[in-house]
Amino acid sequence: MKAGAIYKGMALLIKGSPFLVVERDFVNPGKGSAFVRLKLKSPETGRVLKETMKTQDNIEEINVEDKECQYLYSDEESFHFMDNETYDQFEIPMEGFADHKLLMRDGDTYKIIMWEEKPLDIIIPFKVVYEVTEAFDGVKGDTVQGASKLVTIETGLEVKVPIFIKQGERIMINTETKEYIERVNS
Amino acid sequence: MNIQNIKIRSAILGQIRAFFQANEYLEVETPILAQELIPESTIEVFETTFSSEFHGERQFYLIPSPEVFMKKLIAKGSGNIYQITKSFRNSEQIGKDHNPEFTMLEWYTMDVNYLDSIKTTEDLFLSLCNKDTPSWFKPPFIKMSINEIFKEYISVDLLKCQTRILIKIEAEKLDLEIENTDTWEDIFNRIFLNFIEPKLPKNRPVILYNYPKQILCLAKELKGTPWRERWELYVNGIELANCYSEETDSGKVKNTLDTEYIKKISTSRVIPDIDSNYNLIFNSDFPECSGVALGIDRLVMLLTGSSSIEGVILFPFSDTLIRDCHSTSSETE
Repeated sequence: MKAGAIYKGMALLIKGSPFLVVERDFVNPGKGSAFVRLKLKSPETGRVLKETMKTQDNIEEINVEDKECQYLYSDEESFHFMDNETYDQFEIPMEGFADHKLLMRDGDTYKIIMWEEKPLDIIIPFKVVYEVTEAFDGVKGDTVQGASKLVTIETGLEVKVPIFIKQGERIMINTETKEYIERVNS
Repeated sequence: MNIQNIKIRSAILGQIRAFFQANEYLEVETPILAQELIPESTIEVFETTFSSEFHGERQFYLIPSPEVFMKKLIAKGSGNIYQITKSFRNSEQIGKDHNPEFTMLEWYTMDVNYLDSIKTTEDLFLSLCNKDTPSWFKPPFIKMSINEIFKEYISVDLLKCQTRILIKIEAEKLDLEIENTDTWEDIFNRIFLNFIEPKLPKNRPVILYNYPKQILCLAKELKGTPWRERWELYVNGIELANCYSEETDSGKVKNTLDTEYIKKISTSRVIPDIDSNYNLIFNSDFPECSGVALGIDRLVMLLTGSSSIEGVILFPFSDTLIRDCHSTSSETE
C-alpha cells in the first residue's frame, strides 16, 4: 500500500520487524508535494522510530486481528487482561505503553490488536468520559489566557480544566492529547 | 470546542486588524468561491457546481489561498492590503494542525522585498505579545538561510549539489531511500523533513530563507544565486507562515504557471479552470511587492497552548471521518 494511506494505530513491517504507527502527520513543505511523517513504535522493545516518507512511497502492511478484552489490573511490570470470548487471561508488558496506565480503567473493555498470537497494541477510544476524583476550588486567574486549574481523574491522570469543574463531576478527555474537552452533564 | 480558546481567538483577530489598520494597510474581502484559479500542482482544490434552471451548470472552486485575487487588486493600484479569509485545501490531513477549511491571514506590502517582510512580521508578533506570552513566540526571530542550516546540521553544501545525481548521493549517505521517480525537489524535501525540520530551534521563532530555485513558485529568483527570495517561519516546530518577494515579470509568471499546469494534469484529481490571462496583470505598472501568508488557526493554537487545531476552531472536521475512510477503503481492496 501507499504511505499516504497509513493511519494511526495500524501495524507495518519495517525491515522485517512489526511497528505500530503511533503518530501520523501529513506535511506539505511550503506548498510542496505531500509527505507523511510517522512515529513508529516497536511493540516488542518499545523502541521509537521516526520516518518521513512521500505519500506515494510503498510500504508493507501486516495483517492483524483484534479482540475485545477486559482490563483487570496492573502490577509494576504488566497490564493484565482477560479475553472476553475465551476468558483466557494474559499480560502485556507495560514497556512501550507508558501512557496507557493513566488512561485505562479497571473493568473496562479495550480492543487489543494481535499479530501472530502476540499483542501489538491496546486501543483506547479517542474521547473518554472520566470522573473527577480530586479538585480544589479554582483561583481567579488571568482571564486573557483563560482561567484554569489542575484536577485528578479516577485513573490518577492530572488534567488542566476550567475553574468551574468540581470534584465528582464527569469530564470528557481527548485521550491522545490528554486534554479536557468538555463537562458531561448526566 | 473550547470556549475559552475561542475568546482568545477573537481577541487575537482584533489585535491583528488593529496592527494592520495602524500601519495603514487596507482590509479587503475577495471571493472564496472562484470561477478560475491558477494551477498549483501540489494542492488539491474543492470543486462545486453552480446550477441555474435556465443557464445550465458550471464548476466553481473554493480558493486554496486568496493570492490570485489579492494580486489582481495590487495590479489595480490598491497599495498595501491585508485579508483574513477562509481557504480550503482538499486531501490534506484532518486534525492536529490541518483542517480542510482553515483561516488564512495574507498581506502584501508594496515596494519592499522578502527581507523587509521579516521586520513587519516581527512587529506583528510584538503586537500580539503580553506579559504571559512564552519566550519561544517572541521576536527577534532566529534567521538562517537554507544552505547555512544544511551545512551546519548535516554538512551538505547545496551549492555543490545542484543536480539530481549530486543531491541523491548526499541523501544516500544519510541512509535515505530514493525512488527513481524522485525529483531534485523530492530528494531535498526528504532530507529537509528527516534531518532539518525536526531539529529546528524551538526557543525562538525561526525564519528559514533563500529556498532553492528548483522548488518552483511565484517567488523571485535571487540574482546570481540558485535561490529564491522566499522564507518560511517556524514557531515551536510548526510551519506558520511563508513569504515571497513576488515575481512581477509577466513572462516568468507565465512559465511557472505553464509548468505547474503540466504537472497538475498528471497528478491532481480536480483540474480547475485556469485563468489563462492571469500573467497579464504583471505589466510595467505592477509594483514590486512582498506577500506573507500566515495560518491563523495554527497561530491561535500556539498562543493558547493547544496541541491540536481542533481546540481553536469552532466545529472542526473530525479525524474519525478520515479513519472511517481508511477502514472502508482497506475493506474494499
